[in-house]
Amino acid sequence: MDKTPEQINQDLLRPLYHASWRFYAAAAILSALVLAAFYAWGYQIYNGIGVSGLDRPVFWGFYITNFVFWIGISHAGTLISAILRVSNATWRRPVTRCAEAITVFALSIGAMFPLVHLGRPWLFFWLIPYPSERGIWPQFRSPLLWDFFAINTYLIGSTTFLLLPSFPDFALIRDRASGWRKKVYGIVSLGWRGTPKQWHRLEMAMRIMAVAIIPVAVSVHTIVSWDFAMAPVPGWHSTIFGPYFVAGAIFSGIAALIIAMALLRKLLHLEEYLQPIHFENLGKLLLVMSLLWFYFVFAERLTTWYGNFPSEMAVFWVTQSGRYSKLFWTMVFCNFIIPAPILAIKNLRTKIGWTVVASIPIVVGMWLERFLIIVPALSHKYLPYTYGTYKPTWVEITITVGTFAGMGLLFLLFSRVFPIISIWELKLGGQKKPEAAPALASQEVAAEP
Amino acid sequence: MDRRNFLKISAVGSATVALDACGKPEHQLIRFIPEEELIPGIAQWKPGVCTQCAAGCGLQVRVMEGEAEVTRHGQVGLLSMGLAKKLEGNPAHPVNRGKLCAWGQAGLQVTYNPDRVRFPIRRTGPRGSGEYQEIGWEEAIKELASRLSSLKPGGKALPLAFLTEPLRDHRGVLIGRFLSALGAPPAVKFEFFEQTVLRRANELSFGHQQLPTFDLANANYVICFGADFLGTWNSPVAQNLGYGTMRQGRPGQRGKLVQVEARMSQTGANADEWVYAKPGTEGLLALGLAHVILKENLRPAGAAGEAGDRIDGWSRGLPDHTPEAVAKSTGAEAARIQRLAREMAEHAPAVVLIGGAPLAQTNGLSNALAVNALNALLGSVGKPGGVSFTPQPPMPDLDVPKEGASVRALCEGILAGSAPVEALLVYNANPVFATPPAWRVQEALEKVAFIASFGSFVDETSILADLILPDHSYLESWVDSIPESGTTEAVASLAPPAMNPLHHTRAMPDVLLEAAHQVGGGVGKALPWKTYQEMLQAAFESLRSHPGSVSAKTPDDFWSEVQAKGGWWSGEAAKSAAVVAAKPSAAPATVTEPQFDGAVQEYPFNFLPYASLQFGDGRHANLPWMQEMPDTISTAMWSTWVEINPQTAERMGIRQGDLLEVASQHGKLQAPALIAPGIAPDVVAMPVGQGHENYGRYASHRGANPIKILGPQSEAETGALAWASTRVKITRTGKKGKLILFGGGLREWPREYRRR
Amino acid sequence: MVIDEDRCTGCEACVAACHAENNIATVGDDQAARGRAMHWIRVERYYEGDFPNIKVKYRPVPCQQCSDAPCEPVCPTYASYHNPEGLNAQIYNRCIGTRYCANACPYLVRFFNFFNPVWDKPLDLQFNPDVSVRSVGIMEKCTFCIQRIKAAEIKAQAEKRPLKDGEFNPACVQSCPAEAMVFGDLNDPESKVSRLSRSNRGSTLLSELGTHPKVTYLKRDTWHNGQNA
Ligand SMILES: Nc1nc2c(c(=O)[nH]1)N[C@H]1C(S)=C(S)[C@@H](COP(=O)(O)OP(=O)(O)OC[C@H]3O[C@@H](n4cnc5c(=O)[nH]c(N)nc54)[C@H](O)[C@@H]3O)O[C@H]1N2
Ligand code: SF4
Ligand code: SF4
Ligand code: SF4
Ligand code: SF4
Ligand code: SF4
Repeated sequence: MDKTPEQINQDLLRPLYHASWRFYAAAAILSALVLAAFYAWGYQIYNGIGVSGLDRPVFWGFYITNFVFWIGISHAGTLISAILRVSNATWRRPVTRCAEAITVFALSIGAMFPLVHLGRPWLFFWLIPYPSERGIWPQFRSPLLWDFFAINTYLIGSTTFLLLPSFPDFALIRDRASGWRKKVYGIVSLGWRGTPKQWHRLEMAMRIMAVAIIPVAVSVHTIVSWDFAMAPVPGWHSTIFGPYFVAGAIFSGIAALIIAMALLRKLLHLEEYLQPIHFENLGKLLLVMSLLWFYFVFAERLTTWYGNFPSEMAVFWVTQSGRYSKLFWTMVFCNFIIPAPILAIKNLRTKIGWTVVASIPIVVGMWLERFLIIVPALSHKYLPYTYGTYKPTWVEITITVGTFAGMGLLFLLFSRVFPIISIWELKLGGQKKPEAAPALASQEVAAEP
Repeated sequence: MDRRNFLKISAVGSATVALDACGKPEHQLIRFIPEEELIPGIAQWKPGVCTQCAAGCGLQVRVMEGEAEVTRHGQVGLLSMGLAKKLEGNPAHPVNRGKLCAWGQAGLQVTYNPDRVRFPIRRTGPRGSGEYQEIGWEEAIKELASRLSSLKPGGKALPLAFLTEPLRDHRGVLIGRFLSALGAPPAVKFEFFEQTVLRRANELSFGHQQLPTFDLANANYVICFGADFLGTWNSPVAQNLGYGTMRQGRPGQRGKLVQVEARMSQTGANADEWVYAKPGTEGLLALGLAHVILKENLRPAGAAGEAGDRIDGWSRGLPDHTPEAVAKSTGAEAARIQRLAREMAEHAPAVVLIGGAPLAQTNGLSNALAVNALNALLGSVGKPGGVSFTPQPPMPDLDVPKEGASVRALCEGILAGSAPVEALLVYNANPVFATPPAWRVQEALEKVAFIASFGSFVDETSILADLILPDHSYLESWVDSIPESGTTEAVASLAPPAMNPLHHTRAMPDVLLEAAHQVGGGVGKALPWKTYQEMLQAAFESLRSHPGSVSAKTPDDFWSEVQAKGGWWSGEAAKSAAVVAAKPSAAPATVTEPQFDGAVQEYPFNFLPYASLQFGDGRHANLPWMQEMPDTISTAMWSTWVEINPQTAERMGIRQGDLLEVASQHGKLQAPALIAPGIAPDVVAMPVGQGHENYGRYASHRGANPIKILGPQSEAETGALAWASTRVKITRTGKKGKLILFGGGLREWPREYRRR
Repeated sequence: MVIDEDRCTGCEACVAACHAENNIATVGDDQAARGRAMHWIRVERYYEGDFPNIKVKYRPVPCQQCSDAPCEPVCPTYASYHNPEGLNAQIYNRCIGTRYCANACPYLVRFFNFFNPVWDKPLDLQFNPDVSVRSVGIMEKCTFCIQRIKAAEIKAQAEKRPLKDGEFNPACVQSCPAEAMVFGDLNDPESKVSRLSRSNRGSTLLSELGTHPKVTYLKRDTWHNGQNA
């Protein structure tokens, strides 16, 4: 890649200025789906949560599945880009912004679900500690409150992590633009002039953020896992849930990132910036996570089976060979049997198409995993008399589809206002060929401005 | 946007349903002067009598102030009035001692049922169309009286029929007097689960044409043939109380319950030992037990007395009923028969019960006689821990209600033209719903020129009526009840209205009295009371001279005291009233095998309808609490189902919820399958109570009515419908039925459950 | 509370009584089919064995009033709350409908209003004015008929005397025809309920979970020639 800085500017800023009919068509379709989801939500608020398929005993269903799924996807970003940043993997440069955007959007979408799922969503603010006329604070022992804080912290952190390195690019746009763009980007670039002092501060801030965001991300999904692990529900009450959820989150996050990058590469003609090597490196990470995921699933099942607690075995068998077994084995296929060989074979891993083929089932499989953690356990609690089932309605399905559309739409719009690849970072490392992971080039840090 | 939606959207979270009424402008128009003596927020407890079944339990009604939309003088308005809020058992009442069954609890929903007939109506459309017009009470009663006056006795009895549920109170007395004064035949009493066979057997064996009372509390050993006495049969609350005591109420001592049946009932579910016997062979099994006791001299042979004489071969020690022979015909093992016989003889006091399906066979009476003889042999008749007969209070008029013709005979007479009926009065009986098709009840009733119903609800029978004169609910009217069983005391329950009527209704007895006075002549004279209250007061006054729970010097004191206590009862009267009537002479009965309707080859299953714990014979199907209360065996709500054995189901490829077609020689129906581990492989069972066509919003068009595929065979001696003697075949429809279950797993251990 | 499985006959009177006392809505057939029927007390029925050697066990299950109730700490708004008397109370107005408590409750005795309940008029006239009516999005459950407890306490206070054992009963206990349930003060070692809960037939439901329920079950007895086991 031997592009001049100006070529890079032109290539990467082009999407901000030119939009094809395809963009409008896609935006229209996605918007329609998102509107449909909002309609469904409004319908649910107006008529009652009963329009969903939730029932007794499956009090949590699609919504919480989506919640955990999207929070998981959000780990694409901040965590990956932070880890790569901290470990100075220079190949990360074209990937980070995309990953960070996924994080912010997935997190925002995920954070909506606890609201969607409330029986009385208009009272959501009772979760917030504020001095109220009711004279009581929220219950700090409730994992839902931990969620509230964890997710908000992560959301603020990752938004910052996304915005911080964007200022130089905003300034670049400001400097090249005229009219309304100049004004708007002038405001959002917060007076970036590129002075050494500013660069230094940015660099410092980024380094602090990168280190700080990792434990936040890990804790967020650990806490999400505790929503389950803290409740004495057979199949939930497990110490493995924290790391299991974090690994699953990173796993699904990388898969989502690969898919998003491949789409952008095609749609925005970034073939020269997003190269097979980026996909291969992410693919290696994905392989590791797939193996790790399989290990967790295996370990969890084995201990359950060996322990042979009647209540846990009910959940075990219903997923292994009962009503939910089709979904369970689909999940195993999606998360392991399909992707692991593809990613293990060098010839395939190095082809972008194949990494995408490996990633799509993972996204599906990881959604199924969340579903399979929640629903079979709830429908088979301790007393067999209370066994039940769950069947979602159009409301949940519409809202679920809508969130995927929402993700696409947000990304589409994002690519129209943000350079999807961090221009200044790319320029920094631009003269070098991206190397294969996981080589560390610690001396490179000094070379950066 | 109405107020409610506004509240919803503006996110006011707390309960808003109660606010609903205050925003409606029409309610501000009329506000009646509130009832006196009400202290808001303070509950009053008033006595009551439960009429949800014939057991006659005593109630305590919790009455509190509330705002009701009522009809007064033809106007609808708001009234702050005393409303019944909760029903509890009357702790002093000898039958239920403060306890209540689910039907009793759900009684509130009778009074507050949205489908009640709120004012007198006259039919305007064709019969069955449900098109009515509101009329005034004056007009309605005048029409009734003039219809009655215009009837001409065509030589013999007046062509008038009064169709009612069996009544054990002074309404029955009133109806009897009314009919005899008019020169009409006695009332035709109808209920599906009738007890004619058992009453007749008790008359033959013991001289009491009455249902038995069991002293379970003192029993050590109980064998029950088919009677669901803990669920729906006879006096369930009293029997539950006794059962609880038998089980864990006596320190160091616990009785055993053995249940013999072909489909596990709620009572069977509680048994210590559940014994399968082929349907209709219960009498044989009883004789098998007696054979062992006699042969092994476990009880003196003469103990059975006359009850034994009623059984052919008893005096010879029942030589044909060896355990082996009985095992062959009943399906119970010979060794078990021997063991059970020894156990029951060794664990006195032991008592034997029979009821339900075994009596609804063609050989029902002989089954009952066999059990009676066994009871007598065990020495349990009239003894603690045994069987006895509730003495009747010494009230002069009580014997007035005579046994009338059966519905079947009534309809046959109408259809054949041999006993035409020009006017029919219906009170709380629904034979159109609850008779087999071969009886052609609807067809017969449609031939009657004038039908008046006193029903609170439009049901399948009263929808044929030309005039509906809606009764008060039992919480709104004077009620009395003379329990036939369930206690060893003589009881006359009584309660004044616990609350004022909600609607423009009138108590049936008061309507009848007024109609009688309008008819005039001898009819008016035979009923000298202005109101039912007066009649009751006069009837209860006759108890004042007897020792009992209430003693007072003056009639007025006595009357108010009886009202306050919820009735009068007396263990003293029990002794004096325990006179045994002369037994009608009858030849000894041979206990036979039952006959079934439908050949085994074509109709391989015995079809067993049974009284539902939710709906009884169907009368409670309009109560939402009963519809949604899980059935105790199936856990089903809002459903009907066909119970089928798991192996049979597997063999036929039937899975839970599959819609089955059940066909007999007389009709077919569709209902979902319920895989029930407690039913014999060649038996299918169905609860009675659903399948209403017209019975309000909760009951109508829900499920199927098993009565409509029953054959018309009757019990050989009494002519009672043998409702358990139909055979059916079963086919899959390939569709799923609507089976709503509350319970999930059938078994407590998931492993075991998984194997299912 | 003590529940004797040897006495319970599965008659469901307790279920109907609880509905009547506590203004529990019926949800109708469609909602019931969706698994949303509400029965604060249910009578579980379990089969043992196969035909013809088949047995059934009944077990009425109201809220177990756990001393260490899993439903309490998970509730973010203190709607599920341990009151000073040791009862697990449910404060309807605080509930925002997360349904977390219902997941956490191992006995599944918590019921959720998926819709605003409907009472066809004039069924609403039956409402017990001592019990609030719940609306959409709110969790509800057996309260041990707290309104009756409070009323009895106030009465005793006014009469300046301690509460008597058995002075009042929850609706289900009062109705139970087989007298399978006994209610009273577990803090008083001499009360009937305390004595029964020490029975050698006694155990608590899912005791392995450490919820320390305040409902003791007396297991179904067997017949030993007329003696108690
Ligand atoms: N929102 C609001 N609240 C107010 C006021 C206001 O202006 N607005 N005003 C305040 C004032 S000044 C007052 S005086 C109070 C009045 O408050 P309340 O005393 O509650 O007066 P009302 O609501 O007019 O009537 C009470 C009940 O009396 C019944 N009633 C009518 N006639 C009779 C009768 O002959 N016998 C019996 N037993 N009952 C009867 C009515 O049906 C009604 O149910 O409200 C006070 N509260
Ligand atoms: S047994 Fe039940 S329905 Fe019958 S009278 Fe007693 S409480 Fe009422
Ligand atoms: S009322 Fe009593 S006997 Fe009946 S089901 Fe409930 S606990 Fe059992
Ligand atoms: S559903 Fe209500 S009571 Fe239950 S945890 Fe949520 S807020 Fe608390
Ligand atoms: S039984 Fe369930 S609802 Fe009741 S206190 Fe225990 S955990 Fe809470
Ligand atoms: S104690 Fe009260 S609230 Fe609880 S189940 Fe019994 S009747 Fe219902």
